[in-house]
Amino acid sequence: MLFILAAAALFSSAEIGGSNPTSNIGLTNCVAGGPAYYRFRLFTTRNVPGTGLATGSAEVSVIEGSPFSVSLSSDGSYVYDLQISLERMRIPAQGHLVAWVTTPEIDHIQRIGAFDADLTLVAPVAWNKFIVVITLEPINDPTATTWTGPIAFRGMSRSGLMHTMAGHGVFDQENCAIYGYGN
Amino acid sequence: MPSTDTATDGRTPAAKISMKCSARSVLVAAIGILIPSFLEAQQDTVREGWRMVPMDPNMPMMPGLEGAVPGVSAFLPGLGINFATIAEARPSELVTLADGDTLDITVSLVRRELQGHETVMFGYNGQYPGPMLQVPEDATVVVRVANQIEMPTTIHWHGIRLENQFDGVPGITQAAIQSGDSFTYEVYVPDAGLFWYHPHVREDVQQDLGLFGNMVVTPSEADYYGPASREVAFVLDDILMDDSGVLPWGETAPTHALMGRFGNVMMVNGETDHTLTAQTGEVIRFLMTNVANSRTFNVTFGGAPVKLLASDVGRFEREQWIESVVIGPAERYVVDVLFDQPGNFVIANTIQAVNHFRGEFYPRVDTLSVVTITDERAPSVASERFQTLRTHQTVVDEINQFRPHFGRTPDYDLETTVRVQGLNPSIVLTMEADTLFVPPMEWNDAMPMANWLSTGEQVTWILRDRRTGAENQEINWQFDQGDLVKFRIFNTPESFHPMNHPIHIHGQRFLVIALDGVQSQNLVWKDTAIVPVGSMMDVLVEMSNPGRWMLHCHIAEHLHTGMSLNFTVAEASP
Repeated sequence: MLFILAAAALFSSAEIGGSNPTSNIGLTNCVAGGPAYYRFRLFTTRNVPGTGLATGSAEVSVIEGSPFSVSLSSDGSYVYDLQISLERMRIPAQGHLVAWVTTPEIDHIQRIGAFDADLTLVAPVAWNKFIVVITLEPINDPTATTWTGPIAFRGMSRSGLMHTMAGHGVFDQENCAIYGYGN
Repeated sequence: MPSTDTATDGRTPAAKISMKCSARSVLVAAIGILIPSFLEAQQDTVREGWRMVPMDPNMPMMPGLEGAVPGVSAFLPGLGINFATIAEARPSELVTLADGDTLDITVSLVRRELQGHETVMFGYNGQYPGPMLQVPEDATVVVRVANQIEMPTTIHWHGIRLENQFDGVPGITQAAIQSGDSFTYEVYVPDAGLFWYHPHVREDVQQDLGLFGNMVVTPSEADYYGPASREVAFVLDDILMDDSGVLPWGETAPTHALMGRFGNVMMVNGETDHTLTAQTGEVIRFLMTNVANSRTFNVTFGGAPVKLLASDVGRFEREQWIESVVIGPAERYVVDVLFDQPGNFVIANTIQAVNHFRGEFYPRVDTLSVVTITDERAPSVASERFQTLRTHQTVVDEINQFRPHFGRTPDYDLETTVRVQGLNPSIVLTMEADTLFVPPMEWNDAMPMANWLSTGEQVTWILRDRRTGAENQEINWQFDQGDLVKFRIFNTPESFHPMNHPIHIHGQRFLVIALDGVQSQNLVWKDTAIVPVGSMMDVLVEMSNPGRWMLHCHIAEHLHTGMSLNFTVAEASP
């Protein structure tokens, strides 16, 4: 009760604002300023030898050559240069590390390229909310439409943090199952 | 005044609350107690005239917002006046002016029919948009402005490097023109290009009600843009309406202070059903201006090829193929579009909107205009030249003189942020949770109720000098005429509500030289540029024009809730 009274006093009078590094609740370790804001981590599955301690990151940046402050595809999705880098891993003796992007529903998949020896990759993507999947493919086939090998890393774009409020919001008054989401 | 919001541990009070409130049961209990007492206090400020803002029927209202209205009184123009006594607005007329000519502009009430509703709005010379002024480069024209509306007003000549005293900023370059008074502007136009004029008093109200018009400064250089079959003014706007007509504005302070007032009815040249008819093979040159309070448009042309020619203060170095035009408030772009097949082409605002309730993006396409292309074939001169992308060596050569300054350390670091006080706690808590992810651009008003309820009495948008901590009108930078000044503008993603900002600099021109460290490849002189959330924009400003000028966000509600600073350019000694 004391807390509620204190909170009421704060709500009625407090200023909120300016730069507010901890307003991103529960994600203080992810908060960053500037271009790094949209960076996200890639996590190893440990399913590929040599990746047990590996880490990865993906960063999005404006497309070089766009005359506008944001680049958009014909359907209005953001077009980024996606820069992926992997660290603390051994390059597999066989096969090719290939990066893919897919929707959260995994109903569309796009191959974005194979990694160089320095374990970095830059490629354009035109998706607003996506999962990056890195697999170990037996052959480097630029025409492939989906992966066939084991998943080595995966990570979700920062927009993945934009989650439904239905049943999961701060007010907890709705059952999200009625909107097509599981609890 | 320096910020007082920073607690010793770097967290704001709201952030502390949010973190302590991680258990939902505690949150719900707290809200249950907080909101009734807050609403009780807010009821005192309820004024007649508010109608609830239109909501997406798929979005439930936040608990505690039922029946809430903005804490300022509502304003609609012409209340109590018989509609029949107000002249009906006419479409914009072309006015060609020569050097030394004089034009009279009367600011008055006009009557329009919008979506079937008789609506009282404002107009320049009874027109909507205001007269399209065509003036030769390097001319000076005299514009006598008479104010016949119930509010003070001015005219700002957006993007034009004119004499400071005629810039139209109340309190900086002139006193506002009171109702019944007049003011005479001398408008010198040194640059060719597409410009516009609008009030600088309560733009959120006056501009939204129809006070805007274009000024086209015709270039002295022959074949400046190349051939086109025709030129079409294309003024993009939106207006907020419900079943009873336009929604009122805040009388003493803006509503929609957080995201700006997004309209839900799209307009081109003031028309809600804009159409064009052309022949097959026509190249239509669109002179595009965004006069909306807050909305950035992504304009697509139904798949027709689009060639980008120019922006605010002249041509790009190189013509360029583009798929769409991203145009923020107050920006202008000139594009050529080839319609080489008969049929209907839909010009649309094509975006991925945000649904906060479902936590997802969804495609949204709003028709702006329909171009009907007939089977008749147009002469081929324009369509043949359309295929060539020209490089404008004069533009390249001029900009090359500035390139040695691109890489230097910024002279000034600006940060954009926001401070709120006294907002409904339901809004505060929801938005605190929602800022887990903030998109680079806010294409739609995804929280219409929360946005509407936020007023200029609760929200302060901020431009902060990162080196001194000075904010907004505390800032008055000093420069000398001829200085080249590099600004770095950082749109922090860590504020209460990060949002894209179209930054406008008065009286000067600038180059966007880099965004997030990525160098611009095709430069153009600008007066307004969008800084997306999380981005760092480097601009090089040519301080060519003496006087005291303003730099501000051109989202009207952000400007009028604090987001402006001043700078003075001292005249060079003769």
